[in-house]
Amino acid sequence: MNRDHLVFFLFLLVFAAVNIYLFASGSLPANMTGLGTFIAAGITLSLYSFLYKDNPLFKFAENLYVGVAAAYTLNQVWYTVLLPDVITPISELDGESMNNLWLLVPTMLGFFMLTQLSAAKYSWLSRIAFAFVVGLGSGLAIPRTIAANLLAQMQPTMQAITPDFAGVNLFIILVGVVAVLVYFFYSVEHTGAVGVASKIGIYFLMISFGASFGYTIMARLSLLIGRVGFLLEEWLVLQLPLF
Amino acid sequence: MLFLRRTLPLIIAFVMGVIGILCFYIPHSAAESLELELTKWDRIVAAFALVLGIYSLMRLHWTRVRRQNPGWGYSFLVFVGFAIMTLFAIYNDGQGPLNPQEIDTGPFVWMYNNVQVPADATMFSILAFFIASAAYRTFRARTPEAAILLVSAIIVMIGRVPIGAAIYHALPDLAQWMMDVPNLAAKRGILLGVSLGAVATALRIIFGIERSYLGGGEE
Amino acid sequence: MKAFLLNLDRRVIFVFVALGIVIPSLAPVRMPIPITKDVQAIYDTIEDVGAKNGTVLISFDYGPSAKPEVQPMALSVLRHCFRNQIKVIGMSHIPTSVGLAQRAFETAAKEYGAQYGEDYTFLGFKPGGGSLVINMGSDFHGAFQKDLRGSDTAELSVTKNIRGLADFAYVICLASGNTPDGLWIPYGQERYKFKFGLGCTAVMAPDQYPYLQSGQMNGMMGGLAGAAEYETLINASGKATAGMGAQSFVHLIIICFIVLGNVMFFLYGRQKGGAQ
Repeated sequence: MNRDHLVFFLFLLVFAAVNIYLFASGSLPANMTGLGTFIAAGITLSLYSFLYKDNPLFKFAENLYVGVAAAYTLNQVWYTVLLPDVITPISELDGESMNNLWLLVPTMLGFFMLTQLSAAKYSWLSRIAFAFVVGLGSGLAIPRTIAANLLAQMQPTMQAITPDFAGVNLFIILVGVVAVLVYFFYSVEHTGAVGVASKIGIYFLMISFGASFGYTIMARLSLLIGRVGFLLEEWLVLQLPLF
Repeated sequence: MLFLRRTLPLIIAFVMGVIGILCFYIPHSAAESLELELTKWDRIVAAFALVLGIYSLMRLHWTRVRRQNPGWGYSFLVFVGFAIMTLFAIYNDGQGPLNPQEIDTGPFVWMYNNVQVPADATMFSILAFFIASAAYRTFRARTPEAAILLVSAIIVMIGRVPIGAAIYHALPDLAQWMMDVPNLAAKRGILLGVSLGAVATALRIIFGIERSYLGGGEE
Repeated sequence: MKAFLLNLDRRVIFVFVALGIVIPSLAPVRMPIPITKDVQAIYDTIEDVGAKNGTVLISFDYGPSAKPEVQPMALSVLRHCFRNQIKVIGMSHIPTSVGLAQRAFETAAKEYGAQYGEDYTFLGFKPGGGSLVINMGSDFHGAFQKDLRGSDTAELSVTKNIRGLADFAYVICLASGNTPDGLWIPYGQERYKFKFGLGCTAVMAPDQYPYLQSGQMNGMMGGLAGAAEYETLINASGKATAGMGAQSFVHLIIICFIVLGNVMFFLYGRQKGGAQ
C-alpha cells in the first residue's frame, strides 16, 4: 500500500467516523434531510480531494454530477416547454380549433435539428433548422447591437465636459475609450501620435484587466466561503461564531 | 439535392436575417406581428437545441462505454446519474410526466438540492485554490504595464471588502473611482470593438459568407 | 528557506487559503460594510416601486455554481419586495437556476406571509434568450402561458394585468452569465425603456460599468460584497454579511503571497526566471 492509498483510506475512515458521530448524536437527523446533508458533504469533500491529487472519488462525484445535471436540464425543457407549449396544444388540435396549427412548423424544424447526429443521409435536414435559427438570430441581433451597444454607449462618451471633478472624469473616459480603440486599430502602424495613443490605451486596459483579475479572485473565494460555510454550519452543525 | 442541402439553407438564413433586421425598423403592426411569430418559432426550436446538446453529451459518454476506453466506468456513472434523475423526473413526486412539475418536494428536488447544487458549487470553488497559487507564481511586476495591472488588482481586492476602509478610509472610494472611470473607459472601448465585430459577423452570416454553422460533411 | 520559497509546493498555498477562510468563519469577525452608490440605487428604486404599488420582474439567471454569491442577493431583494408589499414575478433564462429560485421564493414568502398567485409567482425556465425577451416585450401572456405550477398567467392575480415588459416598474436580473448585457439590455431595455437593475457574480461586475454610466442599468450588486451591502441596507444580515470577514482576511493572505512572490522575483528570480 503506497502513501496515496493510505491517504485515501484515512480520508474515508475519518469521513465515516464523523458521520457516525453526527447521526448518533442527533446533530444530523436520521431522515431524508440528514441523508441529503450527508450526501452533499460527501460530494463536496470528494471534489475537494482533487486538491491533493486526481483520484477516483473526485471522478465519481464529477461524472455523477454531469449525468444529474443533464437530466435536470432535460426535465426543465420537458415540463416548461415541450409539454405545455408543444405537446399539449398540438394534441388539442381538432377540426374546430386550428389556432395552434402554426406550432407544427417550429416543431418540424426542431425535429430537423435532431437529425444533426443521425446518418449523413438525413443530417442535411438539420442545416435548414440551423439556417433558420442562425439567420433569424443574426437579423434580430444587428439592429439591437447597434442601438444598445454602439449608439447608446457612444452617446455618454461624448457628453459636454464641465470644469469640475465630474468633468475631469468624463474627459478621462473619453481619452481612455479613444486610446483603447486606437490600440485595437491594426490598420495603421503604431508609431508617432498613434503610438502614444496606443500606449495610453494599453495603460487603461491594464487597469481594467487588473480590476477584472481582482474581482475574479474575489468571486472564486466567495464560492469557497459558501462551501466552507455549508460544511461548518449544515454538515458539522457548528453554532458560529465558535469563540 | 445540392440545392436542398446547400442553397436552400443559405436562402433561409438570408431571408430570416433580412426580416429580423427590417422588423426592428418598421413601426407597423404587421412587422411587429411577424417578429412576434418568428421569435415564437425560434423559442421552440431552441428547446430542441437543448435536447440535441444533451443527446450529444450522452452519445459521447456512450461511445466511451461501448469502446471501453480508459476510464469508461466513469462515463457509465454519467448514465447512472442521468437514469436516476430522469426516473425521478418522470415519477414527478407521484404526479406523472403529463402534469405540471412538482417543485416543492419529492426525490427529484432532493437530488437537485443534495447532489447537483453541492457538486456544481464546489467544482467552481476549487478554482479559488488554483487562482491563489497562480497569483503567487505568475503575478510579477516585470514591466510597467504588469506593475499597473498588479497595483490595480490589489487596490480592488482591498478596496472592495470591508477591511479596506479599516486599513485606509479612502481605499473604497479609490477602488470605486477606478471601476467608474479608467475601468469603464477600457471596457467601453472593448465593448465598442466587440459589438462592431458581432455586427460584421452577423452580416457575413446573412450574406452567406460565413457558413460554418452549416457544418462540414456531404455538400 | 530561499529554496523553499522559490519552489513552494502549491499545496502550502492551498492550506493557507483554506485556513484564511475557516478561521474567520469560526470567529465573530464583523466589520462595518460601506454602501456603494450602485447598490444603494437598487434599494432606492425598490422603495420607490413599493410607494407606487408597482410590480417587479426578477430574472433568475444563475446556476448552482454561483449560488454563494447570487443566492443571498435573491433572498435580500425578495425580502425587500415582500416587506414593501411589492408584487414579484420570477422567471429564468437558464434551466439549472429553477430549483434555487424556487427555494428563494419559498423562504422569503414564508417570512413575510406573501401569497402565491396574489403577491408572487415563479414562471420557471424558457429557452430562446433574445427571442424570449422580444416575446415578453409585447405579449407577456403568450411568452409564458402558464407558470411553473400550471396556473394560467392570463388569469392569475399577480400576472393578469401584465401585458408586456413596459408594465414592470423594475426588472432585476440576477446573473452569472451574459444575460444582462447579452439579452436584457439589447433585446428588452433598449426598446421598452424599463428600469433595469443587476445582481451579478464578481467576475461579471467590471464589464457592466459602461451600462451603469449610460443609464441602461440603474444599479448593480457585484459579488458577495454587493450582496452583503444589500443585506446591510435591509437590516437582514445573512450569509453574505457573515462571509465578509473571511473574504477580507483571505484577500490579505493572497496579497501577502503576491508581494512575497514579487520580492522573491526581484531578489533572485531575475536570474532564475522566478519560482518554478
